[in-house]
Amino acid sequence: MEFQQMINSPGLWIVSSFLVIISVSQAVVFMRAALKEASSIGIDKDRRKAAIRSASITALGPSLSPVITLLSLIVVVGAPTTWMRLCDVGAARTELGVVSLTSTLAGVEVGSAAFGSQAFSYALWGMALNNFGWLFVVFILGHRMSKVVTSMNEKYDPAWVKKLMAGATVGLFGYLLANQIKDMAMPKLAPAIISAAVMYILTTVFKKNQRLQELSLGIAMLVGMFGAQLLFS
Amino acid sequence: MYDSKMVKIGRISMGLAIIANFIPAIYIGLRYGEMPSMSVIFKIWGLVAATYGISWIVQPIAYYPTLGATGSYIGWLAGSVGDIRMPAASMAQKIAGVEPGTHAGEVIGTIGTCCSVLVSATMITVFTVIGSQVIPLLPEFVTSSFTYILPALFGAIYTDIARKDIRAGISTIIMALLLMIFGGKIGIPGGVLTLVIVLGGVLITRGFFVIDKKKASES
Repeated sequence: MEFQQMINSPGLWIVSSFLVIISVSQAVVFMRAALKEASSIGIDKDRRKAAIRSASITALGPSLSPVITLLSLIVVVGAPTTWMRLCDVGAARTELGVVSLTSTLAGVEVGSAAFGSQAFSYALWGMALNNFGWLFVVFILGHRMSKVVTSMNEKYDPAWVKKLMAGATVGLFGYLLANQIKDMAMPKLAPAIISAAVMYILTTVFKKNQRLQELSLGIAMLVGMFGAQLLFS
Repeated sequence: MYDSKMVKIGRISMGLAIIANFIPAIYIGLRYGEMPSMSVIFKIWGLVAATYGISWIVQPIAYYPTLGATGSYIGWLAGSVGDIRMPAASMAQKIAGVEPGTHAGEVIGTIGTCCSVLVSATMITVFTVIGSQVIPLLPEFVTSSFTYILPALFGAIYTDIARKDIRAGISTIIMALLLMIFGGKIGIPGGVLTLVIVLGGVLITRGFFVIDKKKASES
């Protein structure tokens, strides 16, 4: 119980809030400057309002979709860390991937009783260092990015660069999946197979249903978890 | 004038964010004495750099032409660039009747992106608070199914990724499983296995890329 108290402690809520506050303040400051600029270049109030309304509504749907992975992350690393890490770059699945990687290094399994304060500190460092990568690149290159884009496209085949990222992603998640099912034994094989099948059906048969696509990962996970639980409890 | 002001705000907020990013990890070290040694921190860094490092560099560059400087500062701090920031920005541009790529387009895009940050931060805050209250109340059936979170998550994600290039997807998971099973038996450390498998995924993708290119040039 002590570990649960630590990862949900008021102190951790406070130190986790700094990044969220910075992100929200940045958005407010940028928005005020952009609104001022919009009025000075002759975009009237009605159009500014319409832009605000439509952008906010557009953001609602996809903000809803990570609910299931958000809950999973709370179970693993507690509420404050989940809150902070989902308010910054890196989706819940990326963060769970990082936690899974650092746990291997700590020699424990995610979600097991052995996942204690040491594995948690490894996970915090992993998530921070991963996030740092994006922040640092944009901090360094943000203001001279247009030059970087031109020289990148001259030097490398853009089609290959895209494939390179896809290759690294497939390799990483191939590793993460293989790491879960490496014993090739039940019960762990069951949730992986069931959720894979559900995901496949949702993304092919129901391809046209946009709302369902946004929720597909959550639905597939739940069916996989509950299905395995039904089979093996 | 407007552009340089935005870059200044962006750089200051990114600098602060970099500091804030490490505070929880340091706090746990100071408050609870749980501080990994320097060599472990470097190992963790190596592991995340090997797996996500390409994305750190390529993604901000790839999205820059659409996001612009201001959009990049917001997007790579708040995240969800592809699925929340970009749709919100382009919807705002469409409704306000401005062209993307123009100055007016960028200004309205920025307004849209900022709105989406406020919306998603609010939603995540609400969900986290509600979620953490609800989890202890869930029936035992649900809480015991939490042991299956990771296999279910990675099974579903992998299918979604592999679907886009089915040959590379199937080859990579077979390669990963073989390396996992035999590499584990002969005692290759977990961290090294991770790197080898990620690299294997890149090589397999490269292989099919070259084959396709050859085929395309022959026909």
